[in-house]
Amino acid sequence: MWIILDPKCRGFFNYNFALYLCTVFSTMTKLLEWLLGASLIGMAWGLVTFDLLDLQLPPQYRELAWPMPVYLLVVFGCYSLATVGYRVATFNDCEDAAKELQAQIKEAKEDLKKKGLKM
Amino acid sequence: SEIDVEATGADQAVGFGLVGFSLSLFTYYTIWVIVLPFVDSDHVIHSYFLPREYSVILPGVAALILLLFVGTFIGVVTWKNRKPKKVD
Repeated sequence: MWIILDPKCRGFFNYNFALYLCTVFSTMTKLLEWLLGASLIGMAWGLVTFDLLDLQLPPQYRELAWPMPVYLLVVFGCYSLATVGYRVATFNDCEDAAKELQAQIKEAKEDLKKKGLKM
Repeated sequence: SEIDVEATGADQAVGFGLVGFSLSLFTYYTIWVIVLPFVDSDHVIHSYFLPREYSVILPGVAALILLLFVGTFIGVVTWKNRKPKKVD
């Protein structure tokens, strides 16, 4: 395994690794893009919350960082709820279409009763 | 018809109620998580908010309760629709 640290071999492995990365990036699907983005953000959050690099950030920023995943979920939930509520409130009734539909249902029921279907 | 107008009224009430509830929840939660760390610890505003740990624990508990409701609902509906010989 430590052969890659040998100066004579490192160039070979670097080149092939770079080629591999190019292939991955050029054939990256949307799923991979999202996973990559999410992982990067997740790592940044982990670094700040658990102070893995000993950055010694001010305490307020650390206090702000650690609830972030839950905060983003709650905000997303609130946005979803508000969108659903707003669309329910502004959904316009089509009274003529409703009457027409009721008439058609009645007509269909009578037709089926005539043909012997028990309701 | 009479029924359509009433339904719209109830729809509007529920819809705007949801919007109002979401906005209030968002505002309270944002102040709790984002604003409070930058406010002096002896400011009076802190008395309106629980300790910071609860800002993570309470949504977690709420999510669990929601899952419980959804699971129970699915279970009840599946149970009601079971047929003696085979389930379609």
